[in-house]
Amino acid sequence: MVQIVVSSEGAGGLAQWVLVELQGEVEPRQSGGLAGSLLGDLHYTREGVPVLIVGHHILYGKVVQLEKPFAVLVKRGAGEPGPAEPHTHYTVTALIKTKLLFKTRPKPIITNVPKKA
Amino acid sequence: MRNREEVDATVQTAKLNPAELLPAVHCLSFGPQAGTGECCLLQLEPGLCAELEAGNSLVIRGEKHEQAVLCSKDKTYDMKIADTSNMLLFIPGCKTPEQLKADEASCNIIHSQIAGFSSNYWELRRCRPKLKKLRKLLMEDPYEGPDSQKDQTLAFSKYTTEDFLSLIQASEEEILCHLQVIDACKIEGYWRILEFDYEMKLLNHVTQLIDSESWSFSKVPLRTCLEELGSLEPKEMIEHILLSYGRKYIDDGEVYFEMREEKICRAIAQMLLQNAVKFNLAEFQEVWQQSVPEGMTTRLDQLKGLALVDKSSRPETILLLKVEDLPEDNQERFNSLFSIREKWTEADITPYIQDLCAEKQTVGALLTKYARSSTQNGVKVYNSRRPIS
Repeated sequence: MVQIVVSSEGAGGLAQWVLVELQGEVEPRQSGGLAGSLLGDLHYTREGVPVLIVGHHILYGKVVQLEKPFAVLVKRGAGEPGPAEPHTHYTVTALIKTKLLFKTRPKPIITNVPKKA
Repeated sequence: MRNREEVDATVQTAKLNPAELLPAVHCLSFGPQAGTGECCLLQLEPGLCAELEAGNSLVIRGEKHEQAVLCSKDKTYDMKIADTSNMLLFIPGCKTPEQLKADEASCNIIHSQIAGFSSNYWELRRCRPKLKKLRKLLMEDPYEGPDSQKDQTLAFSKYTTEDFLSLIQASEEEILCHLQVIDACKIEGYWRILEFDYEMKLLNHVTQLIDSESWSFSKVPLRTCLEELGSLEPKEMIEHILLSYGRKYIDDGEVYFEMREEKICRAIAQMLLQNAVKFNLAEFQEVWQQSVPEGMTTRLDQLKGLALVDKSSRPETILLLKVEDLPEDNQERFNSLFSIREKWTEADITPYIQDLCAEKQTVGALLTKYARSSTQNGVKVYNSRRPIS
């Protein structure tokens, strides 16, 4: 039977990350994958409402304290599968107790169209 | 990397009022590992978060063909993938409004890298540990006593606690607890279960001694048992049978056992019933009462989950039906029960489904889910929801 251990990274406590939940999918503008590319700017209003500007859209969201927190797991030690396969191991890199939920439909940003002279 | 000018320009284009915004802004970009799928999300049930924060580990267990379970030190959870239609981005170092307000100095741009994203996560649901296999493994090689003719060099079917942890989909504490429930014992470092005939032989030694010494069933001294029976059987086995069939207590520095009438009567009933398919109920009850130690009283309700009485046959009969021999899966258990008997009363079926109840689930809820009820001769009975072949 497979036994996969899920353990914390070590002493010093777990990092706290934040989850951002968006509707639909995020696609890169250029081909070549998402790694390295910008997503957008995250602001908060003085009332604490998160505002995300992504491309030509503004998204308004809310801060939600998660009833069931998440653990972020990273696979470790997965060597080549074979007869001497090492035990797969997941490390808990961080905990997520808060999420920024963007549920409302994105509002397109309409830049000014210059009037005809 | 974006700078303050670019950020401000975007705010202006978006027609947001900077005065209404906190001064700090996160510029989010995808980190180098973001798309690789190396990270995944596990939703934590209450208690598990604290376990991880305390530095404890969890273990995922399962054969390749089984559904995986996640175990903490003392609980077991089913694991399932929950799909959402949304994108979940996980971001280290991203601050909440409260954190930003608390830190007056932050009016800067915080460049945050998205570590990963997913549209699904692992969901956990507390489940019954899958312990039936434990008994099955132990029954491969039950202990027949030191005089056994069995070839002891064939030691292939012997298990330690560590072995069980790699074979059973349950937490360590649940495994150890169940080993106690089934009266397993450690012999030469391995967990063993006693072969039934040997167990009855040991029990018989004890009950005969109780009789010849005229002890009360509630005050059986360990020391004298070991002295008198130690020449017949290993002392560990004598003590084990007393622990299995009695409640240990200490009085005035001496160890005594309060013998458990129900368990002893049950064992003797099993011994009688296992020799035939069915018994005439009246005959059985007579033989059974005569077979138990003098002073003990037999009652049919002692046999819940062990034997089934058929009140509809003439004469009434009784047969051996042990709940631990039935399937572990809910649907399979009900199929099995309904193929043994078409219609059950709640009283009759309860001992055979009680162990299926999840945390806070009732027998009634199980019956509603897996059976159909009807009334027969003024009595409520349950039958299968679907035809049983």
